[in-house]
Amino acid sequence: MVRAAAEIIREYGPFEGEQVAGVTHDGRQVWIATGSSIKAFDPANGDVKRSLDVPAHAGTAFDGKHLYQIAEARIQKVDPDSGEIISTIPAPAGGGDSGLAWAEGSLWVGAYRDRKIHQIDPATGQILRSIPCTRFVTGVTWVDGELWHGTWEDDVSDIRRIDPATGEVLDQLDMPQGTGVSGMEANGDTLYCGGGPSGKVRAVRRPKRARG
Amino acid sequence: MDSLISAAAQALAAGDPLGALNRVALRDDPPALALRGIAMARLGDVIRAKALLRQAARAFGAKATLARARCTVAEAEIALAARDLTWPTKQLAAAREILEQHGDRTNAAYARSLEIRRLVLIGHLDEAERGLADLDPSPLPPAARTVYELIVAGLALRRLQTKAAHAALERATRTARQVRIPELQAEIERATATLSAPAARVIQGSEERLLQLDDVEALFRSDVLIVDACRLAVRLGGQLVAMARRPVLFAIVRQLAARAPADVPRAELIAHAFRGKEADESHRARLRVEIGRLRRLLKGMAEINATRDGFALLPCEDRTVAVLAQPIEDENAAVLACLADGEAWSSSGLALALGASQRTVQRALDALALSGKVQSFGRGRAQRWTCPVVPEFATALLLPAWSSLD
Repeated sequence: MVRAAAEIIREYGPFEGEQVAGVTHDGRQVWIATGSSIKAFDPANGDVKRSLDVPAHAGTAFDGKHLYQIAEARIQKVDPDSGEIISTIPAPAGGGDSGLAWAEGSLWVGAYRDRKIHQIDPATGQILRSIPCTRFVTGVTWVDGELWHGTWEDDVSDIRRIDPATGEVLDQLDMPQGTGVSGMEANGDTLYCGGGPSGKVRAVRRPKRARG
Repeated sequence: MDSLISAAAQALAAGDPLGALNRVALRDDPPALALRGIAMARLGDVIRAKALLRQAARAFGAKATLARARCTVAEAEIALAARDLTWPTKQLAAAREILEQHGDRTNAAYARSLEIRRLVLIGHLDEAERGLADLDPSPLPPAARTVYELIVAGLALRRLQTKAAHAALERATRTARQVRIPELQAEIERATATLSAPAARVIQGSEERLLQLDDVEALFRSDVLIVDACRLAVRLGGQLVAMARRPVLFAIVRQLAARAPADVPRAELIAHAFRGKEADESHRARLRVEIGRLRRLLKGMAEINATRDGFALLPCEDRTVAVLAQPIEDENAAVLACLADGEAWSSSGLALALGASQRTVQRALDALALSGKVQSFGRGRAQRWTCPVVPEFATALLLPAWSSLD
């Protein structure tokens, strides 16, 4: 396992009076879940471009066409153009869910206090398998075949790359004291991390040695 | 933070404690326990709220120092609202320090404002004022900010700084607009009303009129010698002789001031100061002693001259004399005058200061409490009485719906 301090490249926000509970990226803009809405901002300048009035209490994901958003104990499928909720499925941790990611035709959901990542069928919500983690799981993301997740427990946060088969920690990036990770999304070499009630999004560099 | 905790915290912040409870009612993990505790407090079940917050703090474990500190702060606010002033203040101070160290400025400022509210409630006004001067209110959310401004206004009222009080109430109105808490609105209106209500009555010779607070402030800045029956003191400009614990001396000086520059016959002074006794030679001797004490106390402010029939008050440098009294003087005015210093008094202390029996004082306090002019906290021998300096907002729970994270 390789352990290092997280290298924060840039901070966005705080986004007005809101928390950041989930983060995703649609190839151009970063979407954040802020409790009562999902907002999109331009990572080049941090300007908010869009805002959809959708309950958004935890993780957010994007499958190339739709947004997925955890609210209370369900996962909503949202049309990013109209903000319309197309369908909902039950969230696997029954409201104890935090992070959300899309990959390989499945949704990956962080179960916060259960310390697990569930792989679920996006059509039915059925749990396909569960990966054990060692700390409270917040954001979850897949990038270049790597599974990364954020942790936040006892006032300490870090970002981890784990072996999707066993849950073994391969890389660990420690966040500075007082910065939590709630929600995460990778875009290339950048990991966008939601900062919970701080209302911020932090861009963290994904280490090169992690790849290959 | 997980999805339901986040949704519940959002509901609480929006003033919907039932909505918050609905979302976490069946959960027993620590963040859920804490949110349930806060929701129960908002719903008025203080005992259950306290138990839930304690349980949450325990369940968070030793390592979750921030989360535990937030539980402590919430518990302190509940105790304050229940007028439980035996709450261990050291715990609150320790929690505030932890919050400061971890950069949680909002909750740290909130904890500090709770400490100050407690000081005001127990009548430690100087300490409260120093605390306010050191507190940066900018991280406080609007509701807590409104309460902060009400404390500032209340202390300014107490210090007769009407301009500062007006300004603080204006700021309170602005911040209160951002939240919809009717209790806070009502507090601001009540405090504003006290600013324009008659605060005192001034008696100068045969003339008598009602004063608003800013008139009183102006009078205090003038060079009139004021015998202040609202606070049992004699004042001249910045000079102040407190007589709350010298009821006989105050009764005499008040009589003299009401008649000045004419004299007051001995028999009259004796009758007023010594409770309606017939004047005999021993009373005359006692009066001479008391006049001697009064002369020493008022040195540099006024002289007291003996005349053929009695005594006359002569302010130095030909100043005028005024008596300042309660707008409506009832039989309990003396008790109110003692409490007007803002300190917390015990009923036995009041009895001692006023030279009255404890039963009499207790009767007066009960009557005043009924009309809301005084309030008490503590029980039994530890019971203390104060005039509400700052409106009764301390019962309005503002507990922030903080989460276990960040």
